[in-house]
Amino acid sequence: MLNKRKSSAMALLLAFSLFVLAACGGGDGGKASPSGSADGGASGDSGSAGGKKYKIATVVKLTGVAWFDRMNDGVKAFGQETGHETFMQGPQKADAALQVQIIEDLIAQKVDAITVVPFSAEALEPVLKKAREKGIVVITHEADGMVNTDFNIEAFDNLEYGAFLMDNLAQAMGETGEYMTTVGSLTTTSHMQWEEGAYKRQQEKYPNMKAVARKLETNDDQKTASEKLRETLKAYPNLKGFQGASGNDAAGAALAVEESGLNGKLHVVGTSVPSVSAKFLESGAMSMIGFWDPAEAAKAMDKLAVMVLEGKKDEIKEGMDLGVPGYESLKVRDGKYLYGSAWVGVTKDNVKDYDF
Amino acid sequence: MTRWARSSEFYVGLILLLLFAIIGSRNGAFFSAANLFDLIRSAIVPGIFAMCATMVIISGGIDVSFPAIATFSMFSATKLLLAWHFDGPVFVAFALAGAIGLCLGLINGLLIAYFRLPALIVTLGTSSMFSGFLLTFVGSRQVSNLPASLDRFGKLQVVKFAGEGGITVGLPMTVLFTAAIVLAVAGILKYTMIGRGIYALGGDPVSAERIGFSAKFLQCFVYGFVGLLAGIAGMIQTTMMRSSNPVDLLGTELLIIAAVVLGGVRITGGHGSVLGALLGLLLIVTIQNSLILVGIPSYWQRLVIGALILVGTGIAAYQIKRSSAKRKSILA
Repeated sequence: MLNKRKSSAMALLLAFSLFVLAACGGGDGGKASPSGSADGGASGDSGSAGGKKYKIATVVKLTGVAWFDRMNDGVKAFGQETGHETFMQGPQKADAALQVQIIEDLIAQKVDAITVVPFSAEALEPVLKKAREKGIVVITHEADGMVNTDFNIEAFDNLEYGAFLMDNLAQAMGETGEYMTTVGSLTTTSHMQWEEGAYKRQQEKYPNMKAVARKLETNDDQKTASEKLRETLKAYPNLKGFQGASGNDAAGAALAVEESGLNGKLHVVGTSVPSVSAKFLESGAMSMIGFWDPAEAAKAMDKLAVMVLEGKKDEIKEGMDLGVPGYESLKVRDGKYLYGSAWVGVTKDNVKDYDF
Repeated sequence: MTRWARSSEFYVGLILLLLFAIIGSRNGAFFSAANLFDLIRSAIVPGIFAMCATMVIISGGIDVSFPAIATFSMFSATKLLLAWHFDGPVFVAFALAGAIGLCLGLINGLLIAYFRLPALIVTLGTSSMFSGFLLTFVGSRQVSNLPASLDRFGKLQVVKFAGEGGITVGLPMTVLFTAAIVLAVAGILKYTMIGRGIYALGGDPVSAERIGFSAKFLQCFVYGFVGLLAGIAGMIQTTMMRSSNPVDLLGTELLIIAAVVLGGVRITGGHGSVLGALLGLLLIVTIQNSLILVGIPSYWQRLVIGALILVGTGIAAYQIKRSSAKRKSILA
């Protein structure tokens, strides 16, 4: 009896370990092997400069969210269109230390270029410095002012985008009333700049509006965003507006608005993607979302990386056309900070036009 | 002093009352029904997690994989239901998520009980594995359109009334799940042989074996049961958020464990209560959800939450030191 129990437990464990092995083989192995062979082919003809295929890694803040899934589409599309080996990696939770680890691994793998969307710009400076010292091209996105990068590209000037969101919020609120703002993290540069841009626009153009709570942290988490809105509403019962920076803020806020029966009374705008926000836009819990297409951003980053690798760094200047929608006429500041004009505003009228 | 006045539950309760008084004096809205309901709402999923952590820690183990199990269960269950075009009773969804959670929990239990591997290492490993498996094979894209019956269930409220300013105040149906689970765990720990066995095992494994408890069975039970609860908690999160996100919940384990330890559950095992764990959790949830009410600016909120974790884990570290010092003095 005892033996039987033991052996059945052993069988279970054996089955389990097989399952683990299968998982490893199918997962990482599956991904690594085609890339390995592609790399081998590439290094073979490294003598011919024009046809050289590069290995470009994209590191994002977080995997598993709609936003970066869409970015992955762009990364893959760029690889298919150009023949370069492109792939995306990112931590499973938003944590700067995990991002550093991933970049360390990529340096060890000797990739040609790293394009990265930093969770915390400061935390990545040292490891990106190291990457550049090893001759790896570094392109960043959403990290305006980053030091250790060849180029940082923004879909738009962050302050202008924040002001654009504020214009929409003001319109929904009738240009009067109290509002609150949230950011994913106080160390996320882009979120902070959007918030600043929005606040500045409100101060200049909408004197009857008032920020009652600013830059509340949501950790990119929908539930936290929802709780922050509920709490602020208790502290300021006349709250009329919400502007969220992180991709999950607006959806969380809209959930709280809907559950509190405040559709049409408390207006939510923020950065989000249509697939997540469509139902809230349609129910009226959310007024408007702004975003830029992360797939195009990924293509723009990869394009820049290839240009630098091919030695065409001098061609990247004011007014240049990257050949990617929204990035047809770049603005340049201090030589290496680039801006497109790729924002998109979506309301319930045009939400059906986007499928991500 | 009577016994209850020396218990940690008493002190945590006292601190909690003090905190209520301070926050309430700064902003009267704290005592409004809307706020109390919001606090309870915020504790629905963490409440179940706290029960998970309490059971495991009392048994002398530790489990950091319950958020990963919850996420795995909820996301794969949602995906399965969508693939089946499911529109039956929500009970099926919870049963499915619970069953998936139970299986994952048993993996932990078997590794710990039969291979005698350290619980922290096993659950750290499995936590990462479950999450990785989920993202690689099941999917990494957030599901925003749930099966219709789940969506409807998410909108159900136990109580609902119009508060001041036309704001609807309510509690979601899922609060009943948490209440039932809390009562069940308290009942198991206090009134069943298995529950007493869990305390005995955590207090002294050798003595527990000598008086006839099977450590292997108890460990499998504890980790399996925790998996089951985590699965249900995951499905609750999905219905409450009306979307299923494969990276949700991850990273919440530290704060939950800190809450439970604050509530007097000894990290070395064998000691603690459901009431204490709940009080500890309530303390953390209250602080997390009252900083705006009190008017603390955003930058300071980070500091406060960080300090909280430090105090919670600090108490745990102190307990370990004290208990090992005691053991030494007996030997000497």
